[in-house]
Amino acid sequence: MTDERARRRGGASLAPTKPESPRTAPSPAERTSVARPGEKRPFLLDFFPLETARDTRLSKFYDRLREGRLSTTRCPKDGVLLWPPRTACPKCHSEDLEWVDLPERGRVYAFSAVLAGAPLGMENEVPFPVGLVDLDGVALRLFGRIEGAPWTSLRVGQAVRVEAYDLNDGRVFYRFRVAP
Amino acid sequence: MSGRSVAIVGGASTKFGVRPSTWSELAQEAGAALFRAVPELRAEDVDSLFVGAAEPERFAFQSHVAPLAAEQMGLRPTRILQRTELACASGQSAIRSAYAAIAAGLSDLAVAVGVEKMNLPSVAEANSAMGCVMDRPWDGPHGATAPPFFAMVAQRHMLEYGTTEEQLAAVSEKNHRFANSNPNAQFFDKTFPRDKLLRLPMVAPPLRLGDCSSMTDGAAAVVLTSEEYAHRYTDRPAWVRGTGQYSDFHNLANAGSLTDWVGLRHAGRRALDQAGISVRDLDLAELHDCFTISEIIEYEALGLCAPGEGGAFAADGRGAVGGDLVVNPRGGLLGCGHPLGATGISQALEVFQQFSNAVPAARQAPDPEWALVHNLSGSANVHSVMVYQRGGAA
Ligand SMILES: [Zn+2]
Repeated sequence: MTDERARRRGGASLAPTKPESPRTAPSPAERTSVARPGEKRPFLLDFFPLETARDTRLSKFYDRLREGRLSTTRCPKDGVLLWPPRTACPKCHSEDLEWVDLPERGRVYAFSAVLAGAPLGMENEVPFPVGLVDLDGVALRLFGRIEGAPWTSLRVGQAVRVEAYDLNDGRVFYRFRVAP
Repeated sequence: MSGRSVAIVGGASTKFGVRPSTWSELAQEAGAALFRAVPELRAEDVDSLFVGAAEPERFAFQSHVAPLAAEQMGLRPTRILQRTELACASGQSAIRSAYAAIAAGLSDLAVAVGVEKMNLPSVAEANSAMGCVMDRPWDGPHGATAPPFFAMVAQRHMLEYGTTEEQLAAVSEKNHRFANSNPNAQFFDKTFPRDKLLRLPMVAPPLRLGDCSSMTDGAAAVVLTSEEYAHRYTDRPAWVRGTGQYSDFHNLANAGSLTDWVGLRHAGRRALDQAGISVRDLDLAELHDCFTISEIIEYEALGLCAPGEGGAFAADGRGAVGGDLVVNPRGGLLGCGHPLGATGISQALEVFQQFSNAVPAARQAPDPEWALVHNLSGSANVHSVMVYQRGGAA
């Protein structure tokens, strides 16, 4: 694995870091413990999806995420960017959709935090902030965990970036991190 | 409206709460209560049964619950037997389906029952059940359940309109006060004055414990029939005069504005138009107060007040007895608890009982003629509305 790939899998920003950006990886103090302890949960109690081509026609999403790219599908005919990725366009019903990378930066539109009532397997992560993030430059508002700051210091409008993280069982997922 | 006129002619509810009872026992209890409450009801006349149940697979490890409920209740449906699932609106879905079947002439006498058993040995497992109401593989891994979503709704409403925690607490205080007159309510014997509500712990900021409905076990059932047979059961039928539903997204990314509930505006308009009345004609409403902020936005989306004024509407007591209309006299989801499949049935039962002036004075709407029942489901991505008119002599 290249350094670059290791960095991404370790949970750094998806951003091909801009020259002026001072950091390439979160400091140890900041690094979030990987959200998943890695133990096997029964399929029907595991919120994380199956990601391989054997299980989903959207496996490219996870392959690209593994490379540090958050992406979704777009219908070339209608040009509309939709979330989550799809296999058929809901407008023209074409199944010839194309993959496009999404901006890795955005701003918090709304947030809260789970202080109680977490689902099975997430109890030890409480309290964890979640939010809706307007991605820069596209009409998409994605929901996700927000890492890197306690909920008490988050603000609407806060800049965040997308990052991929490893589930330690061959799977990956995405979340947001407060931007420096 | 085409088809036959359809009315609710009776009903009953179990006690809602943390019950030492299984799913099947709750269904039996609702059946027994129903036959006691409607003495003219004969099991052999019930041709159809609609079972509102949101997640029996998750909460009770039980599928195929429609025949199970029929057996528990002592019914042998001969025309339509089915389960209706629409998460938090599963109960209203059962009523809507029964209404449609009777109006179309496919059923003459139907029971709509709602059953939910939500309290499990593992609270986290129950929370997982609530989590898979969302778009599970996309929103679920982030920890999306109802509280953080509605907390974001509240945050945006506060930001856009200046709504306050005190206004949220006013909703909870009102509905808990109403619940003190409803022995079937989960919080019948608990008082929640505003200062106490404002000191309860945060669940998902800015929402505190008292802003959230709870995990509740319970069941309720109503009987529906057509204009030909209604008089056999009651002289005060609650006629279904309008229905409306609207769904426009599922994944949280596609929610659009969190504070303008477009779906409820449409569903409410359709139901009121079908009934031929204005929102000002309503004497009472059972609104889906899964969270305090929900009731505030529902006031606005239904047109009871302007956008942004829902907080003041609550704080000024305009939804209390003596206000513009009585909202959630049963105690709401906040006071009664929220057994998903049973909630919509329990709300309709309250309307039927209000029309008969059969509830305690503390929550009785004065001589009500028109009532609206609303359920949202999931992340307020579906809105279901029904409008009822009191029958019989005024
Ligand atoms: Zn298309």
